[in-house]
Amino acid sequence: MNYIHEKTPPMREERLGTGIAFGGTCREVRCAQRENCLNLASRSFSQTQGCQFTLSLAMINTLRNAVTIMHGPIGCGACSTGSVGTSQSFKRLRDPNAEGLIWLNTNLNEVDVISGGEEKLKEAIRYADKEFRPETILIPVSCVPALIGDDVDAVVAELQEETAAVLVPVHCAGFKTKAMATAYDDVYHGILRKMVRKPERLEDRRVFPDDLDDLRRKYRDSRTVNVLNVGSMSRQDELELERLLNAIGLKVRYLPCYSGAEDFRYALESALNVSICGTHDDYFIEHMKSLYDIPFVIDTIPIGRKNTARWLFQIAEHFDLQEETAKLVETESRELDKALEQFRPYLQGKTAFLGGGEIRIVATAEILQDLGMKIIGFKGHHYDQFAEPVFASLENVDDVIFDVATQQPFEQINLVKRLKPDLYVGHTGGGNISAKQGLPLLPLFGPSYNYLGYSGVFDVARRIRRLMSNAQFNKKIAQHCPLPYKASWYEKDPFTYIKKEG
Amino acid sequence: MSSSKFVDRPRFHCALGGALFTLRALQKAIPIIHASAGCGHNLFSASNAGAGYLGGGYCGGTAWSSTNVVEREIVFGGEERLNEQIRTTLDLIDGDLFVVVTGCMVEMIGDDVRAVASGFADSEVPVIAVPTPSFKGNSYDGYDMLLSGLFRDYVTQGLKKRADTVNLLGSVPGQDAFYKGNLTEISRLLQRIGFRVNTFFGEGETLDNLQKASEASLTIVLSDVYGLKAAAVCEEVHGIPYISLPLPVGAAQTSEFLRAAAVALKADATTVERVIREEEARYYDYFERIADIYNDVDLQRYAIVAGDANYAPAVSRFLADELGWLPRLAVITDLLEEERIPVLQQRFTGWESDTYPLVKFDTDTSAIQRYLAEAWEPNHNERYADTFSPTVLIGSVFERDLAAKLGIPLLTLSFPVTNRIVLNQTYAGYNGGLGLTADLLTTLVAGR
Repeated sequence: MNYIHEKTPPMREERLGTGIAFGGTCREVRCAQRENCLNLASRSFSQTQGCQFTLSLAMINTLRNAVTIMHGPIGCGACSTGSVGTSQSFKRLRDPNAEGLIWLNTNLNEVDVISGGEEKLKEAIRYADKEFRPETILIPVSCVPALIGDDVDAVVAELQEETAAVLVPVHCAGFKTKAMATAYDDVYHGILRKMVRKPERLEDRRVFPDDLDDLRRKYRDSRTVNVLNVGSMSRQDELELERLLNAIGLKVRYLPCYSGAEDFRYALESALNVSICGTHDDYFIEHMKSLYDIPFVIDTIPIGRKNTARWLFQIAEHFDLQEETAKLVETESRELDKALEQFRPYLQGKTAFLGGGEIRIVATAEILQDLGMKIIGFKGHHYDQFAEPVFASLENVDDVIFDVATQQPFEQINLVKRLKPDLYVGHTGGGNISAKQGLPLLPLFGPSYNYLGYSGVFDVARRIRRLMSNAQFNKKIAQHCPLPYKASWYEKDPFTYIKKEG
Repeated sequence: MSSSKFVDRPRFHCALGGALFTLRALQKAIPIIHASAGCGHNLFSASNAGAGYLGGGYCGGTAWSSTNVVEREIVFGGEERLNEQIRTTLDLIDGDLFVVVTGCMVEMIGDDVRAVASGFADSEVPVIAVPTPSFKGNSYDGYDMLLSGLFRDYVTQGLKKRADTVNLLGSVPGQDAFYKGNLTEISRLLQRIGFRVNTFFGEGETLDNLQKASEASLTIVLSDVYGLKAAAVCEEVHGIPYISLPLPVGAAQTSEFLRAAAVALKADATTVERVIREEEARYYDYFERIADIYNDVDLQRYAIVAGDANYAPAVSRFLADELGWLPRLAVITDLLEEERIPVLQQRFTGWESDTYPLVKFDTDTSAIQRYLAEAWEPNHNERYADTFSPTVLIGSVFERDLAAKLGIPLLTLSFPVTNRIVLNQTYAGYNGGLGLTADLLTTLVAGR
């Protein structure tokens, strides 16, 4: 893969055949994906769902010592308001002195729509550079400047001469794609073009060679892996994966979320790039392979013990550490079994419906099956090839419902009403609607909880037990606050509004 | 908009967002968003958290109906897609009013949303369209655009005027976290002096209040900025005059407000004076409680106030005239039309305490710190320095870093208020003055 000289990455519906609208079973959706016939469908009724601009911010807003300039009308990127506190506290888990979330909006108005927004962008870049002295200024470009044809790359090229900060444009106009996960490619595209580069090391300027030191560095690099984290992960998740990889003798560097500029420079001093989530990383690691010849692993997500073991073995294989890994996995699995005993009697046979990103819902289902729960439905934000390896961890799900829908709570509500699960596991953003069915709800992810690795299995188990032991809050909401859908909706097929054509 | 430059951490979003949260505040009014897929979700995330976790309510957040236009519609036009979305929304959603609102892209390509909506004139529930292009205004403007649209196309025309009915505007849902508490309090007081009040968003109100808004004989705009345009449209379409009075915070301002409203409403002066007497007595019964602690440990403070055009003047004056504090800097953080600035400056005159802050108009969060040196001569390392201390900062959550840097307490009340849960609290009226006093002094006794 090499799109690095293009202005923008291709859209995922083109590159990967990603689909956002499908109703059927797991078997059917997997089959449709293999036959590449998912990507054209859409809906005659749809609900607001997020776009590649807002999703880009989920990565951009985590970067340390950086300022974001939202290039667009005043509302673009306003969602950052909601993460102003959490962004700061999560950054400080990595660096106690990290600053808070700072962003500017170029505030394009009626005049700019006609005459262009480049001058305002320049003013904003100069102000950000002088006022905040960040290492990096990221510039996500929204629909309006994309449509009026602002040449952001040219502005950046011009101003890069005078700013101390590295300027990173991110082309992520929301209207360009139906698959908002294209956002990850947009951000990585900017990072690859502007931030990944060979570090300048003092050692490289040595007059006399120091062979021993060179060997030490080579050895260290040969044992270092870049693990690509995602914004929805917690610090506890990172510590758990680091613990496991350290246990088989590897060093870990986390990228890209919550990283500073220097982390991307050292990214090239590593033996392997490891993805945690295929949906998130393929664009980056494929490019790191084609541009810098760093091998990679992209397979499953380490959620659930089978997925975690599979993930570890894929990494171990590269370093010929399978034996050590087998020992580790065996010990971890045994201890986890003991720890989970207390929850099994309570959760055995309970049913669950999971909604959210395709990778996480399928992987989290492994934890639930491990606990003796029964999976009766999925709703995935989109569908593409990256869910395939994760399915290997599940048993008997061929006939389980799989709805491909980015958010779209109306379909979820219909399905949940039919399927009557005991637990709903859901993506953030639809709480007020989900609550009105009175079920206990486990957030599918949360950057302050542990979900990954062995400790993640335990933590999810104990939270489900806790949540299911008292669902009064949602029950009372359901008793008093009606859902907005007409009674006739519940009699209709949940996939009534899916159209085969775009 | 006068100031057309970038904004450092804007304390507002766009017209579409303002319109969406105004609809969110109306009972069973359902927006149909004609925009890109991310607009609704983005704006929900902003005002949900920013307005103290307002939530999506009946049919908001990811439940908002939205056409989610993509490149194909931008190239070929989005009217057909909108037509389909209105039809399916009417199919699915149980609402009493459907309002098409728009994002930038469909406005730039020139979709005629009013024409599309008019195709549904025969539907059981009304479907109207209110264009809300976000390059033409921010969320405060979106409130005005939406209400203007409703006054034109939804409010019944030609109803008989009632002398005892008044409309109340100026508190913007989704921007003012306390809008419902504030409207409820002011409405309570106007009811006490004998009036029926339509706030449209208040406790127990329905779309009926809006539809019959043309019965009112006066509109009171509780703001020097927000709601004025909507009130002017209401006057033009329904012949209802309007007056603008500042949002009153605390006993002194509220009594003043009631007297001014009473004159405009031709209310019975004896009743008004009796109500003021009773309310002030009740207020000071509570207020008196802090007379001990205030004086025992010296709770007078300097203050820095950063807030929108409603809160910054009202809170500053409350601090000076009732709490006996010394506001030294007030920053009004809105994007304002030039002509509003002298009106707002006027609010910082004629105070009983005769102590005034330096008043600045600036939308940039980073600017506030720069004004401190102007508001108070910095200590140049003198041995004996009269420092700017003790001080309390009243603003938004964007002031958290500044408060931490200065080592002073912060009370957040102006957008965004992501560090508080806001339900039925109010900062307006008599009850609002008590609430503000309690919240402010709580920051000072929290360690006791």
